[in-house]
Order: sequence, then structure tokens, then C-alpha cells
Amino acid sequence: MRHRFHGYLLISALTALPWHSVQAEPLGFNRDVQPILSDKCFACHGPDSASRKAGLRLDQPEAAMAAGVLSPGNPADSEVVHRIRTDDSGDRMPPPESNLALSAEEADILEQWIAEGAVYEPHWSFIPLKSVSVPVGLTPKDGNPIDAFVLAELSESGFAPAPEADRETLIRRLSLDLRGLPPTLEEIDAFLADTEPGAYLRVVDAFLADPSCAEHLAAGWLDVARYADTFGYQNDVESDLWPWRDWLIRAFDANMPYDEFITEQLAGDLLENPTQDQRLATAFNRLHRQTNEGGSINEEFRVAYVGDRTETFATAFLGLTLGCARCHDHKFDPISQREYYSLTAFFDDIDESGLYSHFTHTAPSPSMLLYDDGQERQHEILQWRIGKREGKVAEAAADAETRFAAFISEGSPIPEAQPANAWSFETMTDGKTPDSADEKADVSSVLGAGLTDGPHGKALALTGDDGAACRQAGDVERSDAFSLALWLKTPAQVPHLVVAHRTVAETDAASRGWELLLEDGKPTFGLNHFWPGNALRVQTKEPIPAETWVHVAATYDGSSTAAGVRIFVNGEAADTVVLRDHLFKTIKYEGGGGAQLLIGHRFRDVGFKGGMVDEFRFYHESLSAIDVRSLATGGDAAALWANASDAERREHYLFHADNAYAEARASLAEARTEESAFAETVRHIMVMRDMDAPREAYVLTRGQYDQRAETVEPGTPDAILPFGDSLPRNRLGLAEWLLDPQNPLTARVAVNRYWQQLFGRGLVETQEDFGLQGRPPSHPELLDFLAKRFMDSGWDVKGLLRFIVASATYRQDSDCEPALREHDPQNVLLARGPSYRLSAEQIRDQALAASGLLVPKIGGPSVKPYQPPGLWKEASQVVYNPDSGEGLYRRSMYTFIKRTVPPPAMLTFDAPNREVCTVRRERTTTPLQALVLLNDPQYVEAARVLAEKSFDATQGDEQALIERVFRLLTGRHPDARQREILAAAYDEHEQWYAAAPEAASAYLDNGEAPRVSEAPAPELAAAAAVAQAIMNFDAFQVKP
Amino acid sequence: MKQPCPVCTGPLDPSGLSRREFLNRFGMGVGGMALSHLLGGTAAAEEDIHATGLPHFAPKAKRVIYLFQSGGPSQLDLFDYKPLLNKLNGEELPDSVRQGQRLTGMSAHQASLPMAGSIFKFAQHGQSGAWMSDLLPHTARIADELCIVKSLYTEAINHDPAITFLQTGSQLSGRPCFGSWMNYGLGSDNENLPAFVVMLTKNKGGQPLYARLWGSGFLPSEFQGVQFRPGKDAVLYLSNPDGVDRESRRMLLNRLEELHRHQMDVSQDASLNARILQYEMAFRMQASVPEVTDLSDEPDSVFEMYGPDSRDPGTYAANCLMARRLAERGVKFIQLYHRDWDHHGGLPGGIRSECGQTDQASAALVADLKQRGMLDDTLVIWGGEFGRTNYSQGQLTATDYGRDHHPRCFTVWMAGGGVNAGTSYGATDDFGYNVAENGVHVHDFHATLLHLMGIDHERLTYKFQGRRYRLTDVHGKLVPGLMA
Repeated sequence: MRHRFHGYLLISALTALPWHSVQAEPLGFNRDVQPILSDKCFACHGPDSASRKAGLRLDQPEAAMAAGVLSPGNPADSEVVHRIRTDDSGDRMPPPESNLALSAEEADILEQWIAEGAVYEPHWSFIPLKSVSVPVGLTPKDGNPIDAFVLAELSESGFAPAPEADRETLIRRLSLDLRGLPPTLEEIDAFLADTEPGAYLRVVDAFLADPSCAEHLAAGWLDVARYADTFGYQNDVESDLWPWRDWLIRAFDANMPYDEFITEQLAGDLLENPTQDQRLATAFNRLHRQTNEGGSINEEFRVAYVGDRTETFATAFLGLTLGCARCHDHKFDPISQREYYSLTAFFDDIDESGLYSHFTHTAPSPSMLLYDDGQERQHEILQWRIGKREGKVAEAAADAETRFAAFISEGSPIPEAQPANAWSFETMTDGKTPDSADEKADVSSVLGAGLTDGPHGKALALTGDDGAACRQAGDVERSDAFSLALWLKTPAQVPHLVVAHRTVAETDAASRGWELLLEDGKPTFGLNHFWPGNALRVQTKEPIPAETWVHVAATYDGSSTAAGVRIFVNGEAADTVVLRDHLFKTIKYEGGGGAQLLIGHRFRDVGFKGGMVDEFRFYHESLSAIDVRSLATGGDAAALWANASDAERREHYLFHADNAYAEARASLAEARTEESAFAETVRHIMVMRDMDAPREAYVLTRGQYDQRAETVEPGTPDAILPFGDSLPRNRLGLAEWLLDPQNPLTARVAVNRYWQQLFGRGLVETQEDFGLQGRPPSHPELLDFLAKRFMDSGWDVKGLLRFIVASATYRQDSDCEPALREHDPQNVLLARGPSYRLSAEQIRDQALAASGLLVPKIGGPSVKPYQPPGLWKEASQVVYNPDSGEGLYRRSMYTFIKRTVPPPAMLTFDAPNREVCTVRRERTTTPLQALVLLNDPQYVEAARVLAEKSFDATQGDEQALIERVFRLLTGRHPDARQREILAAAYDEHEQWYAAAPEAASAYLDNGEAPRVSEAPAPELAAAAAVAQAIMNFDAFQVKP
Repeated sequence: MKQPCPVCTGPLDPSGLSRREFLNRFGMGVGGMALSHLLGGTAAAEEDIHATGLPHFAPKAKRVIYLFQSGGPSQLDLFDYKPLLNKLNGEELPDSVRQGQRLTGMSAHQASLPMAGSIFKFAQHGQSGAWMSDLLPHTARIADELCIVKSLYTEAINHDPAITFLQTGSQLSGRPCFGSWMNYGLGSDNENLPAFVVMLTKNKGGQPLYARLWGSGFLPSEFQGVQFRPGKDAVLYLSNPDGVDRESRRMLLNRLEELHRHQMDVSQDASLNARILQYEMAFRMQASVPEVTDLSDEPDSVFEMYGPDSRDPGTYAANCLMARRLAERGVKFIQLYHRDWDHHGGLPGGIRSECGQTDQASAALVADLKQRGMLDDTLVIWGGEFGRTNYSQGQLTATDYGRDHHPRCFTVWMAGGGVNAGTSYGATDDFGYNVAENGVHVHDFHATLLHLMGIDHERLTYKFQGRRYRLTDVHGKLVPGLMA
């Protein structure tokens, strides 16, 4: 007898099963010894160098042997044995203060292991997959190999496999497992009647091809991907990520091979000429929570997001608890803290902010436009037209040479640009200062900003908390040409000062709008939709001097590119660098959003403390160099004209005096405006997009965002598989590394997840942990066989499912003798069919499907079914408005998930709140679940609609009605006793409701769905009660 | 041939326990660890649930009522009297005091950080001479019952991380909250009510709350807090649907039980016992919850004690009264949340309003427990997630100021079971900015609270993802000065 029971089963097996004996055969290191060493010793004598005691490590054989604490073959001489056996609490291991202790069995195993030579083996899940031979002799030659592996284990246990389940059970099990929905009566009857060979696999294939299969598989991945409809954290605003869920459904519907599935989600954007769908897939990496809590520290949360992405990657694809290495080396697995941060380096190269915007509603950068049918073509045409008209403008310029020559020879008067706004700050009366260009503009002093002496009369003096503001000024779109100019005096060359802008806030609005900043004294001008990833920003190379009046101007041509920006200092174009050049969405606010042109300060930003500003001008055009020089020098245009270069003169002429050129520009502006408006009609979603220059990644001491230690390159943990030299060190390379046949984890983890989905328990129970602290596989050879086969099949997901459900193991009856259930409550041995409570989604969807209320629409935005009123409101300021009609009856995978207030009935049935990647759900049983099934309007309504329809379908024949309702809800015919009980239930409820007609009527009015049947209310109510009874019956709640 | 099922006529569950033993042993709250064991839930798979053998030693308190003041009440305007700030009112916060402490993005860029003395009058109260401002006339009367901790400090500076840290011992998401740890460790004393109940003050603004604050994190979901709400359904989905009353519901459940018993005969699956029990408990809850939430049997004197709001279900005062009723019925952990203490601006008006809603009822709860002889074994805690700055956020005027978040020191009070009543513990410097003596870290606070409940914080562990987790992570030391 070999013992293959682990965990708590091991304990019961040891005490309960006479056929078991620890010493009977040689131990397997991975199976028997490693779990004990890891759990009880490695915390102090494992991979984490920082917490290692006495310099001793037991996780590596060389180190353990060198330390002389193990005498292979000679336990009596081994210090380890002495330490685990001694009664001396000072010497005893594990020490009492660790709150860890070895059981007698565990100590025996360690001693036996040393007696057998203290042989180490590499951790099982880190060994690359090899071909596994199928055990022979136990199953027919053409049998499913799964059964051979299972029987090989089972034959040693003394238990026999269960017979095949009956057909009603099988089709219900298959339907719930492959589609998440119950079979229809027609499907059941067809299967029962199909006596031809291959009937079972015909059902399997039909279910796998059903679009609802794709939905069900997608639903399973939503937990892993931590998909939700809101950002999480406290304000928890809607995040508009459902198009990614639609991608997911499409991927499963196309049976996308798992390698592509991984690659597209991790790095679809880095593929050659990625399709829209491939880029969309990368939203997987952006499904983590994000905050917009005011005052949050940007870098603190950015680092948290990168960490979430990395840890989700590790849990989802590698089954590793990587998060343990965030603050220190992993205590159990060979993953150093350095390796953790090397892995984060793959995920931190995107141009993101630590906060999403409070004042605007948009996709935090990086993001993409997500075109509906035809929109991409439309957009291309608009962009093509811009290009075309840019050409026309250039042509007009070229054509203007003779007119320009005539202009000069005629000595025409030199035109000047006219400002839209001109604030000279000469007077401040009742907190108002006049706008000499626009009488209607209402320019106010904010918080008492006052006047001082400036270069031209008075100037505005600023404290950093005050300023001058005007709602009507500077309201431009990215497609508009505009310019601004002002005199300023800065007190110092500090990292960041806000001079002038039209934004509502910095991080709280992602700086949407335009802004003129001083960064380390360098004039910096930019336009932002969402800083930093959807923005353009240009900066001068040189700082301006402190404590000196300087004239600064910025001009912009409406091109949405950095090339369209010029910055002038003291009237001369400055050398500039482009800091950002990726602006493709509006810079305006929905409905104005309270934006205003503001000089001197910004909400929660560093204002122009100690600074002064004078002669502010705003233009709705791009100024010429001569215009700017005129502002800076005060010289008249004619004089400047005389001294200007030929190019400057030509520019000035074109900008102000050439009609053909003006027309071409107007036509270009029109095209740009149209494009910019069109872009706002296109859906917009967060995705991955690497910055041109990768961000430097660091080891963060103790995981603290601001404690940067050495820099690290992108890399993977060596103990799993070194990162190949030929691979690109980006996410695409990471995907390739993951899919390398030598990667020991990817296929095992994937196969195990699907096994878990079908059997309720993985071959490795700890889907989240394939490391040393995880459970060893119950059937290691089977796991490896499936994993290898999965890879060799081209990562065929539906093929894998088909292969598993075709096995006799899967098809077993789940009823069994109490002895087996008692010895193997978790069904580790697989000596019976997989039966357990359905998921939250399956239970609700089943009620909807059985009642015919289910709306089988696939994809689209999330919906808001019934929910007790007030739940959102009492925790926040947001109200949950349930849908009406269709939205009440969609599959549960489409239910809107607000992370901070998740759908309560789903939570009650153990659905996670989607805050973090979850690869395994618990299954609890609580009275609250009974209350949901009994009282939630969703179920009451489903029961009464089901009852009404069934009543009509059976013309009120009580037995037929009971039969039909029972079958619709449980997938099987009721037995005699069940009929009897339900008939009694029907009769007594009919009587009861006959005596209380208002109650009958009220009962039938539950839910929004209109009444279906015109039969007498007491009878319908009795039928509804019967349906409710069955909906609360165990057979409804479990997979059979 | 299938054998007849031996458990059908025997004890109620396969572990061989009678129902009474079963309930006594597992404390059958709404969660009911035993249920998931019976049904083979994943909780059962974790072999080393360390919750057995609890309590580790004789508890001082049998239950906790945590009056959480969400948003961060200003300690400087309530408990931590700093006359120096009044003297230096309007002067810039010295760098020597700030010591480079990070500020939130809300005031970090403020051009100046003017210190702001409290405009409220402080006086000493009770024999213990505890300082309190005139915002707390009722709390002042129970001063001698309180252990006022003036030197609590935390690590987070924003609401979400800070409140998460205070409730779960970690700023990271996914950890169980304090109440869930207690539920997991100690079970329930009432089989008809949840062991862990949460109540939110209704109609509040301010920082939102999140269900995960009373969530069970990686512990099985049966240990999560159950929210009690004002109105028809005190517990979600508690009421029968329209057209169903208690009699017809019983009728239906009887038939359901017959179905389950028959199924057990057929399938020989003893876990169906748990299914039967699940429905019985739900039915009992439908009676026991309205019984506890119906305040009509309280005399007028009680309402007077808690204040007029206490007649209005869902107010803080009504929730305090409800907390007492739940405590009387053996609920182990009762958590109230009162929002809107986040006074960045207009603090004097804001804090007046919050104190008006909470002061009388908080004090009444302590006094009420005392007069019923329950204070000795009930631990009452009052406090928020962090303190507030000694400088004004926004403009400081003679009558108005705001205060930003301040993690370096804040004040909470405890009363009842095992606490060192009539004392103030720890102190801040004269600027009210830094802890000057006996700092209490959140982990230390948690360790001490668990200790009062008879739990060794280093031994209440749960293995998740291969690691044994604790409420106090790898930190926390007892603070003897807080305990009697």
C-alpha cells in the first residue's frame, strides 16, 4: 500500500484506515517529506535569507548536507532528528515560540526519510513535463487514459469506482459543466431516447458548440481576471471594461488555443500589427482596482497596480504565491525579492497615473479607441482628410509666393494678431480686473490675489493659493489653434509650479485641458485628455532665470501633435524637447465641468507661490514669431518686420494676410474639429501600451513604494525557467517564456483549473499555490499526462474539456456508500462522480432558464437585476437603479459588479468580490443562502412564472404539473415519494390560498414579469409554492 | 447493493454529535463552521484551522461593540487638548515638528501650513480628570469608564488604506476583518443570530464604506459580518415574499424537509442533514431577527437615555440601542459605522453635527450596559481610522478651519471588559503632531483587543496560500497599560 492521501485526509486515513501504513514503503520526497519541511521548517531554514536562523537552510540539499545536520541513512546521528525528538524546549524544533509543532507522524516521516538516505528531489511542479506512460491492464486498450490513471490509484485504496450515472444525471451534469445552464426538457428527452452508439459524445459536442458554453467558460475566467464593473477602492466609479468581457466570450466561442489566449491578454499590443481585438485583450492587465481618493499619493498606488498585475500573472498562469516575495524573499518557494521586482518590470512600462480622474469620466491611460462596425473606416477617412487638407495648406503656402512678393512691394500695412483676452492687471476692484479684449469676460481675483509693480504698470502677485480666473476664457479643444503669452517672474527654479491653465485639477482631473507649467524653471506647455498617457507636452531645454521678468508664449496649431507646439522665451523660439506626444481624445469637460482659465494656482497642486504675472494674452489662433516678438519687446510690427528674417515675414504674412492660405487653414481646422468630435463618439477603454522608453524598475525595500533599492531588468524566477537570451525583454517575451515547453507550470496550472471546474476540486487542490506549501497532486501522473497532452494538442481548451468529460471517471454516479464518503469526503480518490453545490451564477441562471425568463442575449454592457433597495446608497452616495425588463433576466455573468458593494445574493453564494485574482471559490452552506432562495424576488418570480407556464402546459393536471416543474428544476423525473410529498404540498397550499385569495394574488404578483396564466389564483399559487419547494431542494442546488 | 444509511436514524450529523452537542460545540451562528464541514466545504480542507482550543485563556470580554467613526474624527477638537496650538494659532507648522512627515496631496501643496488651535472649550471630567471638549457633554459623564488612548498611530494616510488597515491589520485587500477573525476564532453564543453584525448609520454623506470592511477576506464567507438594516428586512432577504406568511412558509419548509429526508434515504448522503439544518436556521432567523430589531418593548426611559434619534431606526442612536440588544442576545461582534467625520474644511460646523448625532448615544450605550451588569464583559471601542492635522487645511479664520488626515497620532477610547477604566494612555507632543510617549501601533491595539477576548494574537492563525496569517501579521505587542 502506498499512501497517497494528503492534508486532513491523511490524518483521518492514518487513524481510520487499517490498510494504511507509513513505513510500509519508501517515501517519496515530494509527496511525503517536502510538505513537512516546507510547512514546519522553511520559515526559518528556507529560501528567505533575511529570516534564516543559524545560517541553516534545509531547502537545498547541498546546503543542508554541508551544514552536517543530516546523516543520510543514519537518523540517530542526525542533528535534525535530535532536534525534533528532544524534550528540551530550548533545543526543540520547531521552537515553541514559532507556534508550530510536528505531529508524531510527521516526525516519523522525517526520521524515515533520513534513514532512507535523505534524498532530495526537485519540487515536483518545477520539473519540466515529460511524456507519461498510461498504466496498462486496468482499462480497455481503447479506453480513456484518464480512467487508467485513476484506477491505478484507486486499486490501491480498496475502493471500486462507481458505475456510470444514469442519463438524466449525465446530461444535467454535462449541461451545467459545459454551459452553466440546465438541459432543456427536449434535450433530456432526446438523450434518453437516443439509443445509437455515441449518444453521450453527441451531447458533449453539441454543448461545446453552444454559444452558452463560451459564456460559461468566460464566466470562469472572470474571477481569475478580477473582472468588475467599477474601479474599487472607496469611490468605486464605473470602469467601462465590459468590452473586454465580450472579447473573452468571443475567444472561447472561437475555441482560441490557450497559448494565443495567454499571449493576447498579456501582450496582444506587442504582436505584429495587432488587431483591435488583440489590443483589447490586454485590458486583462488593467482590471485591477484603482483609486481616485483625493490626496492619494500617485506613486504609492501606481506601484500597487503594477504589483497587482504581476501577482495576478503569477497566480493565474503559474499558480504561484508571488506576492509573498514583495517585501522579502519568498519564505517557501525559491523566488527572491529581486526576482519579484524583475517580474514587475514587465508590467510597469505603461504610461499610467496612480489615480484615475475624479472630475472626468474616461478610461485612464493608456487606452484605446474601440471601434464599432464601420467606425474605424470612418475615422480613417476623417484622418485621411486632415492629411489631405494639411497638404492643401502647404500648397497654399507655396502658391502664395507671388502674393507675398506683391505684399512686400506694395508696402502693405503689417497686420497684427488680435487677442481674445487681454489682462493687464492694472486695477483690481471688488476682486475684478478688466479684460481689455473682451468686455464680457469676467476675470476675478481668487482668494484675494493682489497687484504689485510689474514690467508694464501693475502686475498680479501670487501666493500659490490664490490667482486670477475666468470661466469664459481659453475654452478650446485639441483641434483648435490657440496661443497664450504673458510676462512672469518666478521666485526660484523649483521642480513644479503651475503658472496658467484651463484644467479643473491635476491628478483629480488627470490634468484635462491645457496648461503652462514651470518644471525646474523650464516653461512647459501641454494639452491633456488624461495625463500622462493621453497627452502632449513640450518643454524648453533651458530654464528661465529666477527673480527676473521673462516673457513666455506658447503657440499651438490644433494638430493634436507636439510638433504643433512652439514655446517662445522673451520673444524668441526656444529649443524644446517633446515629453509626450499621444493625444487622441478631448481636452474639454463634459458640460464644462467647472473648468476655467486660471493663473497662479490649481486645485491640490503647487501654485505659483511667490510668482508674478503680467500682460496675459490669449489668442484663438497660432501666433507668428513676429507676433510673439511684438508682445515681448513692445516694438511695433513695422519695426519688427524690418528686422525679421524672410521666413518669419513669410509666416507672418500667411498667418494674417493671405486669403487663400486662410481658407485652406479654415478648411483644415474644420476637418480637425470633425475628427475630434468623432473620436468622442467612439468607445474608449483601458489597455496596455508600452512607453517608448521603458521605466526604470527597482527593488523596493520592504515593498515600500518610496524605498527604492537597486534597479532591476525584466526577468523571471530562475528556479522555474531562466529567461531565454533570445526572448525580447517585454511582455511578449514573457508570454513566450510562459509557453516554452520547458516551462513546468503553465500547462499544469491550466489543466488543473479545468479539472477543478469539472470536478470541483483540482488534482492539485491548491489551484492558487503550486509551490512548496501547496498540496501535492492527488494524481501526479494524470496531471502531467493531461498537461502534456494539452500542450501537444495545440492548447485546445474545448478539446481538453471533451477529453475529460468523455472519461468514465467523470461519468460515474455520484451516489456512493457512506463508507467511501466518510473516508473520502472531498472525492480525492475519484471513486464517484463529481457532485457539489453549484456556483452563485449557475444557481440563478438555472432558475431563469427553467422559468423561461432567461434572456439569452450574448455580451454587451452589464445589467442591474433585482437588488434590495438602498444598499449602494447607505455605503456611498450612489443609488442602484435596477433595470426593467431584459436586464433583470440576463445570465449572471452580466450582472453589474460594484466592487465595494457586490451583488449581495451572489456574495452569499460565495462569489468573490473581484478585488483580487481568485482561482478557487469556497463553497459554504449558510442560512442566508436559504433566505435568498426563499425570498429574493428573482427566485420567487422565477418560481411563479415557471408555475404559471407549467400549469398552462399541463392544463392544470396536478401530477403532470409536478412532474414538469420537477424536471425543469432538477433535470430528472420525480420518484413516487417525491411526487407524493409535492402533491401534498400542492394540495395544502391550494387550500391555504383558497382561503386567502389576496395572498394568492399577492404571491403571483411578485416580480416585474406580467402574469402568464389565467388559471385560478389559488391553484397557480399552489403550483408556485411547489416550484419554490423544489427550487430550495438540494437537487436544484447541486450538480448531480 | 447499497447499504441502508446508518445516520438516518442516528444522531443528526455524521460526526456522531447530537444536535445539542453540535450546536454547543460549533456555536451555530449564521455562519456555522460545522455546516461547511458537513457539506465538505473548502474550509474543511484546511486541516490546520487553529481556531480550535479557543479561547486561549480566560477572556475579560465576551463580546465587542465597535463604534467606528469613519472619516477620522479630529482628536484635537475632542480629546487631545493642546493649548499651545491656540497660543500659536495661525503660525506656520515648524519643520522641526513635521519632521518631513508626508502629507496627503490635498494639503501637501498648500502655500502655508498654519497651526490651528481648537475653538472648542476643553475641561477635565470625572475623577480621572480626562480632558474633553464641550463637543462631548455626554461622553464627559462616562469619563471614568473610559480608557482613552491618545497615542494610537497608523501607517496609511488616505481613507481606504487606513480604514482597511484598521479593520483588517493590512492595507492590502483580501484580508479578513477583525470581526471575521473573532467569528472564526470564537464562534457564536446564539444559534439564531449571526455572530458578527454590522450596522451603518443611514442617510450619511462623507467617505463611502465598502462591504469588504466587514468581509471575511480569505476566511470562508460564513465568517463575514451580516449587515442589519433599518426597515422591513433587517437582514437581506429576511422577509417572506408577498403572499407568504409564517404559517405557509412553515408548511412549505415541512415539505422541503420531507424531500430532503427522503433524498437522504435514497442517496445515503448524510450531508443533507446540513441542508435541513440550513433551512431550519433560516426559519428561526426569520423570527429571532425581528424580535431583536423590534424596539417597541423598550421603555421610554431607554429612548430618553439614547436620545430622540433612537426612535428612528437606522440612526446612530438607534443602532447603539440595537447593539445593546444584540449584545444581550449573545452576538459576539457588533460593529457600527458612522460616516462623515472627514472634516477637511468647515470643521467646527461638521464636527458639531457629528457629535450631535453620536455623543449621547455612545455614552448611553456604555451607561446602559453598565446598569445591566453587562459592561464588565462587553468591550466597547470608539474611534476612526486616523487623526487630523494640527494645521489648517484651507483657510484659517477666527471661526473656521479644516484639518487634513494625520496618521501619526489619534485618539480612540475603550470601555468595559478588562480595560483600564478611568485612564488616559499615551501622550502626544505639545503641538499634537507626534506621539510623545507610549505610542500604540494599530497592530498593538489589535493584539490587545484580542487578548481581552481571550485570544493570543500570535496563535489565532489561518493558513492561506501556504502561509499562516494573523490579524497582526508578524507584528503586534500587548499594551498592558490599556488593560485593567
